[in-house]
Amino acid sequence: MAPNMTTSTGCAGNTGAVLPPPKDLSDIFVPAMRIHKKSAFKSVMGDPTSTMINMAGGVPHPNTFPILQLQAKVVSPTSRQDKALLPSTANLVLDKSQKNRSTESLDELLQYGAGSGVDSYCDFLKKYTQIVHNPRYADWGVIASCGNTDAIGKAVSLFCEAGDSLLVEKWTFPGALSSLVAAKVQPLAVEMDGEGMDPESLDNICSRWGGPKPLRAMYLVPTGQNPTGATMSLERRQKIYAVACKHNLAIIEDDPYYFLQFAPFSVSRSLENAVNAVGLLGVDSDEQQQVDPLVPSLLSLDTEGRVIRLDSFSKILAPNLRCGWITAPSYILDKLQILNESTILQPSGLAQGLISKLLNDTWGLEGWNQHLRNLRATYTFRRNVFVRMVDLHVAGLVDYVLPSAGMFLWMKINLGPDAAEAMPRLLETMKKCGVMMAPGAPFCSSGSNSSSSDCYLRAAFALVDVAMFEPALKRLAQAIVAIRETADYPSAVQNTHTCTVPNAMQEGLLSPAPGKMTISS
Amino acid sequence: MPSKPHSKDLSDLFSEVTKLRKNSPLKSLQKYMDADPTIVSLGAGLPHPDTFPFVSIGSTVAEAGVSVTDSSVAAKDISVSSKQPTAKIEGLERFLQYGNGRGVPSYTRFVQEHTERVHSPLYEDWDVVVSAGNTDAFTKAIALFYQSGDTLIVDEWTYPAAIETVRPMGIRLAPVKMDSEGMVPSNLDHLCTTWDSPETAPRLVYMVPTAQNPTGATMSLARRHDIYAVAQKHNLVIIEDDPYYYLQLGSYKPLAEVNDPEDRYKDLPGIKSLAPSLLSIDIDGRVIRLDSFSKVLAPGLRCGWITAPKYITDKIQFHNETSIQQPAGFSQAIVSKLMNETWGHAGWEKHLVQTQRQYAERRDMFVDICQSYLKGKVEFTIPTAGMFLWFRVLLNETASKRKGVMGEIFESMLNSHVLLVPGYMFSPLGQTEEVLDKPYMRAAFSYAAESSFEIAISRLAQALEPFTC
Repeated sequence: MAPNMTTSTGCAGNTGAVLPPPKDLSDIFVPAMRIHKKSAFKSVMGDPTSTMINMAGGVPHPNTFPILQLQAKVVSPTSRQDKALLPSTANLVLDKSQKNRSTESLDELLQYGAGSGVDSYCDFLKKYTQIVHNPRYADWGVIASCGNTDAIGKAVSLFCEAGDSLLVEKWTFPGALSSLVAAKVQPLAVEMDGEGMDPESLDNICSRWGGPKPLRAMYLVPTGQNPTGATMSLERRQKIYAVACKHNLAIIEDDPYYFLQFAPFSVSRSLENAVNAVGLLGVDSDEQQQVDPLVPSLLSLDTEGRVIRLDSFSKILAPNLRCGWITAPSYILDKLQILNESTILQPSGLAQGLISKLLNDTWGLEGWNQHLRNLRATYTFRRNVFVRMVDLHVAGLVDYVLPSAGMFLWMKINLGPDAAEAMPRLLETMKKCGVMMAPGAPFCSSGSNSSSSDCYLRAAFALVDVAMFEPALKRLAQAIVAIRETADYPSAVQNTHTCTVPNAMQEGLLSPAPGKMTISS
Repeated sequence: MPSKPHSKDLSDLFSEVTKLRKNSPLKSLQKYMDADPTIVSLGAGLPHPDTFPFVSIGSTVAEAGVSVTDSSVAAKDISVSSKQPTAKIEGLERFLQYGNGRGVPSYTRFVQEHTERVHSPLYEDWDVVVSAGNTDAFTKAIALFYQSGDTLIVDEWTYPAAIETVRPMGIRLAPVKMDSEGMVPSNLDHLCTTWDSPETAPRLVYMVPTAQNPTGATMSLARRHDIYAVAQKHNLVIIEDDPYYYLQLGSYKPLAEVNDPEDRYKDLPGIKSLAPSLLSIDIDGRVIRLDSFSKVLAPGLRCGWITAPKYITDKIQFHNETSIQQPAGFSQAIVSKLMNETWGHAGWEKHLVQTQRQYAERRDMFVDICQSYLKGKVEFTIPTAGMFLWFRVLLNETASKRKGVMGEIFESMLNSHVLLVPGYMFSPLGQTEEVLDKPYMRAAFSYAAESSFEIAISRLAQALEPFTC
């Protein structure tokens, strides 16, 4: 290991210099969180010594657990060059009472534990976070979360209580917006461009803020943003960070798509072959992924300890593992641990144990990195085909920004002056043509999109069979054309499984007479 | 068979936030796809299951009813595999994909069937929804009805995590005195009747009616009826937190009087003879019942379920969808496979009998030792369920007059290397001077090795010696 590689305590940076402690943000905690104390009860449980007979913990004995061993069969991540070989699998096993190399015994994984999560799980993630992000301040750590939706609610609750406002992107993750409604926290929408949150808009809003209580925190998805697919460049991230420092804001960095950053976009000569390729992972040979560095995270720029970074296994292992991790200054993690202990306790010990075993032993760091490279290749391929099809079939009908990460493409469609009226008709027509996408409205953080002439659709290209991209986008085109070209398009359209527009109209030879438009099956 | 009545509508008691909770607009898109499979949906932001690297998950599980303490345990291998659903269980990829906040269907189906078998709810529109254990379930139940400044009725000694959850929510706690069976109905009635302001009247009462934490008290059926009647009178919603429900152990018998252990434990209740729950007498639909696998399978699974009228479980589902989503798919997969295929309802009952046996043996041994060593030093009610003994220390005259005496006692215990939990930790009133000197402590007999019971209790006796009669 290189001598300047930092240890997991994170106190020596690449230069070997000692890192500064984080700023103390507890003066921007909400009052309830300032008095939030570690459980007195749990202090009694503490860490009983071997001479102490523990009649305190109301915990069951492992010899009441009927689960004697846990096994999993997992895919072995192989590089492109090895694809010629048959795909191989590996078995991992968690033994009941013995330690499982890096991972705790199954008895320990199945027992009550601390709200910070399983030790071996957190240890790996701390090491990994050190390697990827190399935090610039001392006294940081990681704790387990049960996914980013839960983590968002908890992180926000540190800084915002009922009546407060949270700075958010103008278009954002609906789960976060619902969480804010439940907490009676007002989302404060910041303008976006093709790279995401606009730092000037952020600065203006903060500078002109006249609300009764100060703004304390911002929430954003800087990579493969949901729904816009935008990814902030390094320069943009630096500007955003500077504004946050200027206005003393905590930054909640929600980054579930971070590792799904694509190789640069190119249209392959043999794209048609790629489209017809068997199976999901048919990455075209011309798209051979280079080892492009990932755009640095906000955490990696964080010299003051303002970033609370939310990572999740949902898009990089599987969604319903309900496992992720939060990186922040240790004194903030202590608060989050207390919140865990009065809600979920911690994520499933089975899930944490299996992930820990997989990452620590079965795959190790090399296998994990290979798995992530494979995912990048898969998502790059999908993005490439999808964008190609958008260009072929919907160009001119929509505006979009090329996504460089994640799974979303965000389309802006002009449907005339009254978008609020046209949008439902578009969605209905799309459905009848046999295609669906998510409308923009649920993602709008300012409640309603005041720009009344713009309609938005979010397309997700991760799940659907790649062979269906072209038909889907053709159907979208048909629906848009139908809405645009017939001002009083009848709302009661015969419901058929395919939407075919008469050939003459497709060739532009005829415009349909109003009221005479029919859809034939 | 006469049809069951519909639940009473208690939705006017919902908090403002609960009234706003609704189905996620994105999740609502799913029903259109289900209706017409030719629709290509690019709506949902789901990853493709081919990117999930888990081919199968498996477990070696004890045969139903087998004791895990035996040197060779009869066991069975079970597995859930990707893209290989069975008649009863989904394929693994289904357990690992995003779903809704209600739970994976085979898991919720099992707990629903089980709830019907055990409790047979009296109203027709009940339903179940998943939880990540009872602490999570408790926060969801509270959030249904409560906002800052409200008051929650609790036992005078109660579960510490519940106390710690509600404090930052700005919720006040109103304790009700207990006796050896738990919350006293006339005290609950008195609290509600004499509440000074109808606008701030508490709407929710939280209790652990079986093997209560910390007192170990279990309510008789008559007590449950009386409590329920008071709740009806004052239109209260009851949170029935019941993680020890299945750990009903029958009566204690001194080991000296036992001739044949097999005979001694032949009448454990299993499922068929459990004391009826509050849910099972809930004609109005005012009980929100919290069940957990923590004490009957393992705590690390982090899964359980909540039973309530469907209009309430729907709200909890929506709350799940903006927080935990669901319990971990791996946990639901193992539990579902085990319950639906490997053990079935009959095997589950055998397992519960075996678990009851283990706890009953511990209880009997522990009570024997306590009665022997602690005679005259403490008094306690012998528990008929669960894992706790609640000691009231019989302080001698000088000790009982001394402020801070309980602090001295705990110090003395630590010095004697025995750990119990001081009673004040369970007080909803916090650690006031008055509470700190209440002479109570909680012992758990679930975890320490049985061979260490005698040493532990002899150390406790030694520690108490200077302070007791």
